[in-house]
Amino acid sequence: MTTGLKRVGRLWRYDPGLLLAYGLAGLFLLVFVVWPLARVALEPTVADWRQVFTTPRWQRAAGNTALMLVLSTTSSLLLGTLYAFAVTRARVPGAQLFSAVPLFLLLTPPFVSGLAFILLLGRRGLFTYHLLGLETSIYGWHGLWLAQTLSFFPVAYLVLRGAFMAADTSLEQAARGLGAGRWQVLRSVTLPLVTPALLAAALFISIGVLGDFGNPMLVGGRFQVLATAVYTQLTGWASFGTSAALGLILLVPAVLLFATQQWVQSATQGRYATVGGRSSSLPPPAVAPWLHWSLFALCVLVTLFVVANLGVILMGALTRLWGVDFSLTLEHARYVLSHVGGLGNSLRFAALASVLCTVLAGLVAFLVKRGGVPGRTGLDLATLLPAAIPGTLMGVAFVLAFSQGPLRLTGTGIIIVVGMAVSYLPVGYRVCAAAIDQLRTSLDESAANLGASKLTAFATVVAPLTRQALMAAFVFCFVQSVGTLSTVIFLVSFDTPLASVTILNLADQGSWGRAAALAAALIIVTMVALALLFLITGRRFKPFQEFTRAGA
Amino acid sequence: MLAPDRNSTPHVRLTGLGKVYGDTRAVTDFSLEVPRGSFTTLLGPSGCGKTTVLRMVAGFVEPDAGTVSIGGVDQAGRPPNLRGVGMVFQDYALFPHMSVLKNVEYGLRRHRVPNAELRERAARALEQLDLTALAERYPHQLSGGQQQRVALGRVMVLEPEVLLMDEPLSNLDAKLRLRLRAELRELQRQLGITTLYVTHDQDEALSLSDQLVVMNEGRIQQVAAPQRVYAGPANRFVAEFVGLANLLSVTVREVGDGYVNVSAAGQDLTACLPDERTPKAGETGTVMVRPEHVVLSEAGAHVPPDTWRASAVIASHGFFGSFERYWLRVEGASEVWLVDVPLVSSGFTGSGSTATNELKGRRTALTIGSAVTLSLLRGTASWLW
Repeated sequence: MTTGLKRVGRLWRYDPGLLLAYGLAGLFLLVFVVWPLARVALEPTVADWRQVFTTPRWQRAAGNTALMLVLSTTSSLLLGTLYAFAVTRARVPGAQLFSAVPLFLLLTPPFVSGLAFILLLGRRGLFTYHLLGLETSIYGWHGLWLAQTLSFFPVAYLVLRGAFMAADTSLEQAARGLGAGRWQVLRSVTLPLVTPALLAAALFISIGVLGDFGNPMLVGGRFQVLATAVYTQLTGWASFGTSAALGLILLVPAVLLFATQQWVQSATQGRYATVGGRSSSLPPPAVAPWLHWSLFALCVLVTLFVVANLGVILMGALTRLWGVDFSLTLEHARYVLSHVGGLGNSLRFAALASVLCTVLAGLVAFLVKRGGVPGRTGLDLATLLPAAIPGTLMGVAFVLAFSQGPLRLTGTGIIIVVGMAVSYLPVGYRVCAAAIDQLRTSLDESAANLGASKLTAFATVVAPLTRQALMAAFVFCFVQSVGTLSTVIFLVSFDTPLASVTILNLADQGSWGRAAALAAALIIVTMVALALLFLITGRRFKPFQEFTRAGA
Repeated sequence: MLAPDRNSTPHVRLTGLGKVYGDTRAVTDFSLEVPRGSFTTLLGPSGCGKTTVLRMVAGFVEPDAGTVSIGGVDQAGRPPNLRGVGMVFQDYALFPHMSVLKNVEYGLRRHRVPNAELRERAARALEQLDLTALAERYPHQLSGGQQQRVALGRVMVLEPEVLLMDEPLSNLDAKLRLRLRAELRELQRQLGITTLYVTHDQDEALSLSDQLVVMNEGRIQQVAAPQRVYAGPANRFVAEFVGLANLLSVTVREVGDGYVNVSAAGQDLTACLPDERTPKAGETGTVMVRPEHVVLSEAGAHVPPDTWRASAVIASHGFFGSFERYWLRVEGASEVWLVDVPLVSSGFTGSGSTATNELKGRRTALTIGSAVTLSLLRGTASWLW
C-alpha cells in the first residue's frame, strides 16, 4: 500500500498526464462498472428473493435458462468449430468463399436471426407453410435453440478460425511423421492447441446466451427464460426488487464460467501457446475423405441458411403482408425512411460508444501492461468484469444506478452510449492487451529513454503500433452496439429510440414488414459505415486476426 | 540539470545496488564508480545480472537496495525519461512505424527542441553516422549494421552525458561486429562520452574497455583494466571466464617484488604477482597459465634448462584457423589442460604440428594418444590465490 502511494506520488511529480489518465479510467470503471453492480446487488429485499425462489413460473424460467445455456452454447461452439475447421484445416472446396459467410451474420444484430426464423419457419412461414404446407410452429425451445445457435456460432467461428490459423501446421505434420493417425493428430495435437480459444469462445457465447433477450422475446413464445422475465418484471410491473433478483441469478453461472475460464487460462498459460507464434507454410495434413465431404456439406447448408436468412429479411421488407399477401410494396421502406430517428441514433450512439470503448480499452491495456501504476490487478478485473455480466442484468443495474441523484442519466443518450461501451469493453481490452503483449518492451523503454513520458510513449509508439488491435476493438464494438438489445432495451426513452428496440417492438406487434424493412436498413447502413471506415483508413486491415491473439 | 562537478566525483556511482526477483537474487551489493569519459564494460555469463544493473542505471528497474547517482545526483524515483542517459538496446528497438529521420528526430521532439535546430541536429547526426542517404527508409528496409547505427544516432543526437549499451553488437555477423566495434570505440573516444557497456563476449570486453567489471551470479568478481584482468584474474571464475586458464597447484618458496617463486610438481617456477596479493613462504596456492603460453614438444625432446616442464598425453585436438588447440592429460594435474599452438610459427620443436605436417603431406606427430612434453614460456605464469 505504501509503495502504491509512493508510486502515485512519483507519478504526480513526474508524469501527471499518466496519473490523470489513470484516474479518469479508474473513475469511469468505478462509476460505470462497479457502482451499478453494487447497486443492483443491494436492491432485492429478502422478500424479493423469497418470491423469486418460490414462484413456479420463475423456477421454470431458471430451468429453461439453464437448458438453453447448455444446448445453445454447445451447438454454437460445435458448429463454429466445425465450420472453422472446414475452412482452415480441411480446406473444403470454396473455403475462401465459405470463410466470409459467418461474418455476414456477425454484421447482423443477433435477434435478426429470430426475426428471419419467423418469416421463414413461423406459423405462416415461407418455407414451412407455403412450400411444405406444414402447420408447425417454431415458437418454443427448439426454435429458440436454432435461432441462438445461428446467432452465436459466428463468434465461435471467428475465434476458432484465428486459432486454427495460428496453430503451427508443422506440429501436426510432425505428429503425422511420428506415426500418429488422423484422429490421433486431431485429438492429441490440434485440439489441445486451440483449447484456450475454445474456452474463450465458450465463455463469450455462454454470457451471450444468458443475457440474450431478442431471440427469446421473438421466438420463445410461452417458453420464458430469465432474461425475458427480468424485462417483464421491470417494464410491466416496475418491480425493481424482483427483476434485480432474477438478473442476479444469471450472474451465478456467468461468474462461475468466467472464473473457470480465467483459471484454466492462467493454469495452462504457455503450455498451449503456439510454438514460435507463427504459423508455418506447410499445408495441414489431409483429413479423411468422408469427413472432408461432410464438412463441405455443412458449409453449404450453413451458407444456404445465411442467404435465406438475409434474403427473407429483404423479402419481408418488400412484401405487403407476410404470410397473407406476398405482393411487392415499398410501403415499409417509406415508413423506415420517414421514421429514421431510431436508425440515426443507433449509428450515432454505436459510433460514440466505439470511440469510448476503444480509447478506454487501449488506455487500460497500456496502464495494466506497461503503465507501472499501482492497483493493476483491480484495474484488470474491473475491465474484464462486464464480460461476466449478462446484458439484461447490466441493463437493470444501469437503470437502478442512474435514475436518481447526481448521476441521473436515464433517458439520455449518454447512458446508452456508456452502456454499449461497457458491454464490449472486455473484448476490446483483451484484444488490445494481447497486442501490447506482442510488442517488445524495448520499444516503449527506448521511447522513455529518448525523453517520452509514459503517456507520450503510449500516444507516439504503443498506440500506432497496435492500431490494428485498436481498429479491431472499434469495429467489434460498433458492429455489436448497432444491433444490441439486451442492455439498451432498459435504457431507451421516448427521446432516444434505437433501431434494434424499434424492430423488436414492431415484430412484437406483428408488423413483420416494417420490422424487416428496418432490420434490412440497419444491416445495410452498418455495412456501408464499415465500408467507409475501411476506405478511409485505406490499409489492408485484418481485424479478425486480432481476436485470435486475444482468445489464445 | 546535472551538477557539473567535473573532476572530483565519478560520473556514475552505484552504491550497494541490490535487486531480487522472486527467489532469485539478480544483483547483490553492487558498487561501482564509472569515471567521466571512460568506457566501462560489465562482462559476465547470461543471467549474471549485468543487464539488470544497466537497467537500474537507465531507470527501467527500481533497485531494492542501494543508490544510483549520476553526476552527483541521486536518481531514486526519477523516471527514465528524465535521467538524461542514452541507451542502445540489444534489439535496437527502432520504431518500426517511423522513418530513419523520424527515429532520429524522436528524442529531439520529446525535448521540445525548436524546429530549425531540430532539423539541423538530426541532419548532422545522420551525416556523422553515414545515414543521410537512408533518411527516408524504414527500419525493416535496413541491414543489421545500418539499424545499429540508427539506434546509436538516435541516442547521440541528444548529446547525452552517459551512454548505456546492452549487447549492441550481439545481433550482427562476426565481420561486421569487428568493424562496428572499432567504429564504436573511435566515436566514444572522440566524443569523450561516459559509456557503460554490457556484453557476454570477452573479446569485445577486452578490446573496448578502459575498465572491465566481471560479474557472476549478481556479484562483482573483479574490477580492473582489461590487461590486469587477463593477466591477474581475481579468482577462478574470472580466470576461466575471461580467456581460458590452466591451473597449477603450487607451494610458495619466496616472495619478491612483483613476482613469486613457487614449487610446482617438484620444479621451480616464477609467477607474476599482482600488487594487492601477498602470499607467504610455505603457503600452498594456485598459479594460472594461459593456453597460448605453453610450448609443446615431442616426448623426450630437448627443452631449455630451468624451464618448467611436464609430460602429457593428447586427449583431443581441434583446428581453429590461426591456431590448433590441444586438450592434454598432464601428469600430476587433475584437470585437462588446454594448449594453443599458433600455426604460423609453430612452437612445436620436433617434427611440427599436425596441421603443418598435413600441409607437407605427411601426418606423423601429434594425434590423440601421442605422448608429449609441455613447457612454459618464461614469465607467463600468474599467481592467482
